[in-house]
Amino acid sequence: MVGRQYDCLVNPLGAVRFTFEKAVTSGTDPASLDRNDWGVADIFREFLFDKDGISQVPILTPSTVHRVQPNTLVRFRGMIQDMLGNEFYVGAYKNEGTWNTNKFTDVSQFAMDPSADMRVWERRLLYCVPVPGLNSWADSTSDEVEMQDASNELPNSPRAKKMREGESFMTEETDCGGPTVSDVDFRNKFSCLVKIYDSPESDLKLNDVFEFIGVLTIDTEVKNDKNGEHELEDELVNLPPSKVPRLHCLVHRKLSVPDMVFKSPTMEPKPHLVKEIRESLLHYLKVVLGDDELAAHFMLLHLLSKVHSRVDSFAVGKLSLNLTSFDKSSISVFGKRINNAIKTLLPFTHHMPLTVEYLNTVSLSPVKDYETNRLVSGALQCAEGSHFMIDETSLQAGVLNSNGVENTRLLKDLMEFQKVEYDFKYYKMNMDADVQILVLSEAKSNILPADLIVPFHPSSVGPLGDVDEETLNEWRWYLATLRSSPHSIETEMQKVVEDDMVAARQVDRSLGSEDFSRWLTIGRLMSLSFGETCLSHQHWQMVKEMERLRKERLQ
Amino acid sequence: MKDLDFSRDKDLAKDFLQNSASAKYISILQDVANRKLKAIEIDLEDLFDYKDLDEEFVGRVTENTRRYVGIFADAIDELIPEPTEAIQEDDSDVFHTQRAEEGNENPDGTDPRQKMPPEIRRFYEVYIKASSKVQPFTIREVRASHIGQLVKISGIVTRCSDVKPLMKVAVYTCEECGFEIYQEVTARVFMPLFECPSKRCQVNRAKGHLILQLRASKFLKFQEAKIQELTEHVPKGHIPRAMTVHFRGELTRKVSPGDVVELSGIFLPIPYTGFRAMRAGLVADTYLETMSISHFKKKYEDYELKGVEEEQIARLAEDGDIYNKLSRSLAPEIFGHEDIKKALLLLLVGAPHRKLKDGMKIRGDLHICLMGDPGVAKSQLLKHIITVAPRGVYTTGKGSSGVGLTAAVQKDPVTNEFVLEGGALVLADMGICAIDEFDKMDESDRTAIHEVMEQQTVSIAKAGITTSLNARTAVLAAANPAWGRYDLRRTPAENINLPPALLSRFDLLWLILDKADMDNDLEMARHVVYVHQNRESPALGFAPLEASVLRAYISAARKLSPSIPRELEEYIATAYSSIRQEEAKSNSPHSYTTIRTLLSILRISTALARLRFSDVVAQSDVDEALRLMQMSKFSLYSEDRQKSGLDAISDIYSILRDEAARSNKMDVTYGQALNRISRMGYTEAQLKECLEEYAALNVWQIHPNTFDIRFIDA
Repeated sequence: MVGRQYDCLVNPLGAVRFTFEKAVTSGTDPASLDRNDWGVADIFREFLFDKDGISQVPILTPSTVHRVQPNTLVRFRGMIQDMLGNEFYVGAYKNEGTWNTNKFTDVSQFAMDPSADMRVWERRLLYCVPVPGLNSWADSTSDEVEMQDASNELPNSPRAKKMREGESFMTEETDCGGPTVSDVDFRNKFSCLVKIYDSPESDLKLNDVFEFIGVLTIDTEVKNDKNGEHELEDELVNLPPSKVPRLHCLVHRKLSVPDMVFKSPTMEPKPHLVKEIRESLLHYLKVVLGDDELAAHFMLLHLLSKVHSRVDSFAVGKLSLNLTSFDKSSISVFGKRINNAIKTLLPFTHHMPLTVEYLNTVSLSPVKDYETNRLVSGALQCAEGSHFMIDETSLQAGVLNSNGVENTRLLKDLMEFQKVEYDFKYYKMNMDADVQILVLSEAKSNILPADLIVPFHPSSVGPLGDVDEETLNEWRWYLATLRSSPHSIETEMQKVVEDDMVAARQVDRSLGSEDFSRWLTIGRLMSLSFGETCLSHQHWQMVKEMERLRKERLQ
Repeated sequence: MKDLDFSRDKDLAKDFLQNSASAKYISILQDVANRKLKAIEIDLEDLFDYKDLDEEFVGRVTENTRRYVGIFADAIDELIPEPTEAIQEDDSDVFHTQRAEEGNENPDGTDPRQKMPPEIRRFYEVYIKASSKVQPFTIREVRASHIGQLVKISGIVTRCSDVKPLMKVAVYTCEECGFEIYQEVTARVFMPLFECPSKRCQVNRAKGHLILQLRASKFLKFQEAKIQELTEHVPKGHIPRAMTVHFRGELTRKVSPGDVVELSGIFLPIPYTGFRAMRAGLVADTYLETMSISHFKKKYEDYELKGVEEEQIARLAEDGDIYNKLSRSLAPEIFGHEDIKKALLLLLVGAPHRKLKDGMKIRGDLHICLMGDPGVAKSQLLKHIITVAPRGVYTTGKGSSGVGLTAAVQKDPVTNEFVLEGGALVLADMGICAIDEFDKMDESDRTAIHEVMEQQTVSIAKAGITTSLNARTAVLAAANPAWGRYDLRRTPAENINLPPALLSRFDLLWLILDKADMDNDLEMARHVVYVHQNRESPALGFAPLEASVLRAYISAARKLSPSIPRELEEYIATAYSSIRQEEAKSNSPHSYTTIRTLLSILRISTALARLRFSDVVAQSDVDEALRLMQMSKFSLYSEDRQKSGLDAISDIYSILRDEAARSNKMDVTYGQALNRISRMGYTEAQLKECLEEYAALNVWQIHPNTFDIRFIDA
């Protein structure tokens, strides 16, 4: 027994070729293999998940990219920022009478005779970037890289050898790279071109967060080949392979918010556990919000909110929160506290101080640039489940230019419909978003009409105290898991809710369907926050009580 | 073997060109010979229809189109007739004659490089056009397996390069032997020749130096463009794909960025040259070599019906309930408002424009104004209508651009010339202009709108430019009452807050009030709970028609121009005069019934006849028109009626009483009665109730079978 003829980790292409040969010799027609898997994915799935090979696969980061040897297995976590269409390549060709394949690689194994029998196949190109607004605690790459490095220190191991080779490669790179960019900057710009084979188009959508595992190719030789042949340059010219690594994806898996939060799924949602966590988190939020219990309650519900369905143009489940009554002194204290708290609780967060200048200059919506044929990302292009904290208190009276007007409209649309308009110049396309929006303002924000307006009444600025990592993880788990649990309302309860609504509308004509909808959302989030899946009388009463208290404050 | 095949196919092509139906190609060839045409477009559909159809041949043409373009060109070379008219000889012709003479003297014409390629003598271009019956692909549907084939795609042009010359045949002369050497260029780059390959030079080992003759070489116009998928073809959560497109010769300068086009062409890979090819050419760029271009049209009048749609429309038209069915399908997610939706449907259909002999024009577009409390889905209705209409512009009264609603004169920053820029109303010419927040409109725009709504033009007299632009648009306006909400204590005129001159131009004015109503509230609460519970809208109880079907039906209906039969004229005239009289009687009129009202009745009735696909307006159309006009004022009247203490039943009684008195008869037929009361906005159920109640009082007798009414005279 020779064992396996290939090493999935170091020589993934060996596995590809091996299986290809097997498929061809077993009588499969190479022409029929386009967009068909011949067993490669199974081998790698088995290696990665059943044999837990995934922990050995290095993660592609700016610091590791030059150390990892080309044509080895790597993984990359990122958000699909742009889709560059498909690429046609010679998938299979005949060399001296035998079929060879070029799948999962940029360079063919043997020199190809242009007149040889060949098959053109296609693959899709995805441009991926690290998830915008990713907080360092949720970034699995930062700590694991160190681990990898440590394990690589063994002398004479093949990996260390490669590393040395990699180093020389790296110096070569920095030489021609000009001034070195700061690490943070580089990190945000670090992107990866992922080439997708076989999987159906509907699997991978824009702004989805994925982990791609595949073959890394850094093809340095093509990089200067700009032969001006094209009037309209194709997009790849702007993404030189020396800067943007190529990853030929073998296996990909979608990462949702819970996947980002913990490395291993451990906790089971037990009712008493959930209630305990709820209490401690609520207490923490109360301290953060200066002992304002009502605001803390609403904040908890806000952090749990999620668009769980769309009915026509209406996004069901969103709950944007507008905390009002801030002034210069309270914003400086609480703005920071709230921001920090949210940052430690949620994986993707954005902080947006709203000023006239900001609105006039920044481009919030992603715009298609036809010069480079790329989608230029805007601040509102973000992953599902992102949190935006918009600070309106710094806004001064001023004149908005057309860009500013457009931006405010975009923000408003995002709040109302959970949609972002992508500008394709000749037409606009609405892309669904699912973001939580928190607005801090002095008075009710008219630019950003939130679902919930809560005047903020802090009474004390207590010390936050240290929260240990374990508790933090519990809270993160709580927020990430419960928001997507199912929920329903029993028929009996429905009747109660309907009657309450009709009664309320008889008293106050200004109540509309938005208000009813908000009540139901709050009710849903309330029962979810207790780990329950059914709206109970008790929770509905709590909702009504909270709305009453809120109304009192508004007067 | 293969060559043999191709030569046989050339004969097939020749046969086809000579014998195709109605000698279409023979006349084209003659025009080409006379230098009137430069392009020969071979329509695959003609090939399908060809009597000696060889399906395999058609298959070969679509699979290997580029080769067959050449085969057809060869065939045409042999078929091209002598010009029948005197033609202007240009430079290239002079060259050709000279070459032809030299060619005869050439002693060693066997050298293939010295043989003149047929390409250089062609003064025409050959294109093979995909059948127009085939549904075009979206860009993402074009796969690797389509390489080399004729495909048809639709998309929007996003970028265009300049038109540049592309060398087709390079011609050299040799310094030593003086021969002309030809080199055909097939790719975008080519390797020039340096040494003379002619026999004489080779024998003499002269290594004759070649000089490229630009004047003698043949060039083609060449343009590169990018097209992108249309929004409706992009799956959710994806980004539109793009494709490179090449235009050559006569097809250049046909498109500009922003055009929505349908192209047929050959999907081809770009062979890599030089260094990249040495890297084994793993990746191939692809492009579409265009064979034909057609632009999409967005007007109703240009809407071409597809076979499937025609059938669907025919089926719908047979169904009697088309009026209700179509109107319900407008904004199905908005609950209720049936009559408003009916009115909006009629707005989409419109009536034909009429031009009288003396040059007076009577507009056919219906104008509708929706007025009502905030939050009654006015804006949603407006936006929905815009999506259904093939050409629709949505704007608000406080339109953000400086151009506003009408038009503006602007100074071009580069040339300093004044240019006219059309506003929303001009852009919506031959379509629908939806104006939200109509009450908050600028005063200047509001004056201009008077003209637009009746004369359907926009006149400009600014900065030395006096002109008038067409604005044949149907205006759909939405406005809030004067104090934000409708104030029941004030008169309707005070609430509406629009000048009578403007109001009279609307065919229908609709008042939507948000009234305190337990049932409505419960309905709303149920709806919201349902949406949250089931994550979908409650079932509508019917399947709404798709917007595309709606559009097709409406465009088919718009092609008709129904006339009003003589016998109906009297009927309409009486109806009109009775409205006038009623208004004269009332001390606080809510409406301004003018001759415009009469025109409105005609317009609405005509639109209704169009919907039925009828060439003649029927009495039922007029009755429905009157009913709609009545319903539109209903909410105003209902308040009144409450004040005057009349309930529906007694009101119906008085209507019937009046009707009997006017005709001086004691009988009113049931049909007549129903007509009268539905015009006043009552239902059949109410009529029946009234009949029973008053029959019990012995005021009248009801015929047991026909329900005809006979008054018992006192």
